[in-house]
Amino acid sequence: MYAIEIEDLRKVFPGRRKQAVVAVDGLSLRVARGQVFGLLGPNGAGKTTTVEICEGLQRQTSGVVRVLGDEWTRRAMPRIRNRIGVSLQETRFIETQTVRETVGLFRSFFQQGRTVEASIDAVSLGEKADARVDKLSGGQQQRLAVACALVGDPELLFLDEPTTGLDPQSRRSLWDVVRAFRAGGGTVLLTTHYMDEAELLCDRVGIVDRGKLIAEGAPRELVRSLGGEHLVEVAGHGLSVHGQALTAGLTGVLRARVDGDRLSIHVAAPHLVVPALLARLTERGVELTELATRHTSLEDVFVALTGRHLRDDEGEAA
Amino acid sequence: MRGSVVIAVARATMRDFWRTPESVFWSYAFPLGMALVLGFAFRGQPRAPVPVAVVPAASAEIDEVVLGALRQDERLQVATMDEVAAERALALGRATVVVRLLAAGPRLELDPTRPDAELAELVVRRCLQEGAGRRDPIAIDVDEVERPGARYIDFLVPGLIGLNLLGMGMFGVGFNLVYMRVRKTLRRLAVTPMGRADFFAGFMLTRLLLALPASVVVVVFGRLVFGVPVHGSWLALVALIVVGAVAFSGIGLLLGSRAKTIEGASGLMNIVQMPMWLIGGVFFSNQRFPGFVQTMVDAVPMSLLTDGLRGVMLEGKGVIDVWVPIVALFALGGVCLAAAVRIFRWN
Repeated sequence: MYAIEIEDLRKVFPGRRKQAVVAVDGLSLRVARGQVFGLLGPNGAGKTTTVEICEGLQRQTSGVVRVLGDEWTRRAMPRIRNRIGVSLQETRFIETQTVRETVGLFRSFFQQGRTVEASIDAVSLGEKADARVDKLSGGQQQRLAVACALVGDPELLFLDEPTTGLDPQSRRSLWDVVRAFRAGGGTVLLTTHYMDEAELLCDRVGIVDRGKLIAEGAPRELVRSLGGEHLVEVAGHGLSVHGQALTAGLTGVLRARVDGDRLSIHVAAPHLVVPALLARLTERGVELTELATRHTSLEDVFVALTGRHLRDDEGEAA
Repeated sequence: MRGSVVIAVARATMRDFWRTPESVFWSYAFPLGMALVLGFAFRGQPRAPVPVAVVPAASAEIDEVVLGALRQDERLQVATMDEVAAERALALGRATVVVRLLAAGPRLELDPTRPDAELAELVVRRCLQEGAGRRDPIAIDVDEVERPGARYIDFLVPGLIGLNLLGMGMFGVGFNLVYMRVRKTLRRLAVTPMGRADFFAGFMLTRLLLALPASVVVVVFGRLVFGVPVHGSWLALVALIVVGAVAFSGIGLLLGSRAKTIEGASGLMNIVQMPMWLIGGVFFSNQRFPGFVQTMVDAVPMSLLTDGLRGVMLEGKGVIDVWVPIVALFALGGVCLAAAVRIFRWN
């Protein structure tokens, strides 16, 4: 049984001067009940558009979207709305109201639901219950948004970039809320561009790029699919001259990439590869300037699939 | 539509109103301040005395008699000056009448096209005659009175009520909606089970509940401070205020139902408000236009409201007498509301 089914979804925005923008381009996806599913991708990849179509906030150009078994028809709309909770990217509530009043207002919209107090406690805003919205910090406002999403006691929770711009403590506290919701049997669809968040929080992730789903699976699975869980990165003067020859025939090397004077190698066992690699570099007179080994991450998956980094501000990888 | 949702929305918007000092000020304090300032500025004042220039004769004796007679009347302000100064004072309007005391008798010089020339002439003539010994054959007593109902403040109070209802509809409803759209608060509300009818009803309910006391405060203030009467039926007055609020919040709702920016909404609202201010009979009478222009002026929603309010307050009309504006304003509000529901955008 799926909480969300998306089949061949397309969304085209008219755009100016007849230059239509394809935001979502034939995306298909299924989210099983009881899962935390993360949509990953750079800004402008189509994550938010996809989520907002699922929330019934935008209409697709073509394709089928079923939420809790229903398509967004006029008749199904109240039924779906009563069963989902939503936290949009950047929502600002009425600033003159207190936290308690805001959650109370949202509670009145739903036929069933949790108590206002329980929702506020779930996001640890009890101390701020009587504070006005305009007196809350960014993290507290984000938690308020989640409290308003939880107050209708939803089966399915949509969180669009819930932790963007939050301090580490607020992020962790939101992760706890998500885990508690999942432990209670709820399903979550969230978007993020934080890799660590996706790896720690999500049962499954889908990587979206240019409106398409380019990979989908459990975070560990995706990382493993690269062929090694470790990454060895070295840099040195004159390294580019030798190129792939540096790793040719080395046991335990699964994949290697040379990028100027930098070399990155996916390996299963770094303790075996690194000594052999260093010996070779010395042999060929390459002066080492950098050596690092780390676990491969979803970021590496994205880089391997697209040749680009996830975050815009980190620039394009050559 | 669900009553509990409507009430929850109304309570939230009501709290928002009272917690925003600016909205309380513009809706409640501002109209009273305006009534106070304009009421005193335009209150019935005693007419300023008419300036009279006297060019003395050679004989000090004649001068004494004549000047004494002219100075007895407080409607005249008498100054003596030489020929040159008197001519100039007349030319500049600093004197309405020049009295030259010649050997043959006084001679007046005045410009009959000036509005106070005739009065000045009559008063000066009488003073000179009485100074020379004339006595009136019969005595006439004059009682000076000021009747409430015909003063500027009596005209103004109904206008201010209309102005206030218009402002509350435009800013309280229209601007608030656009503000919530710009801040994306509306988008968040759109993904809840609340229907737009519930939302609109809650919003309008708040405005109606706020509009009635805001108007009654102006009426009571006018009555206590200036003695502005309510000659007609209070029921008719309340009915007009309520339908006025319905009409103007309906217009505000319609104007705010799609605009994506505050600037866009301001433009729309100015276009709608301009004729209401200018020819809606708020600050000055809108009853002296030729033929068909007058018909159009009378059909401006603000004219309907202010004419109705003045009819009730100053002419003593009842509900039956003002049924046309009541029905017209109510219908206007209904049409705007229906149109707003159709074209409204959460995004």
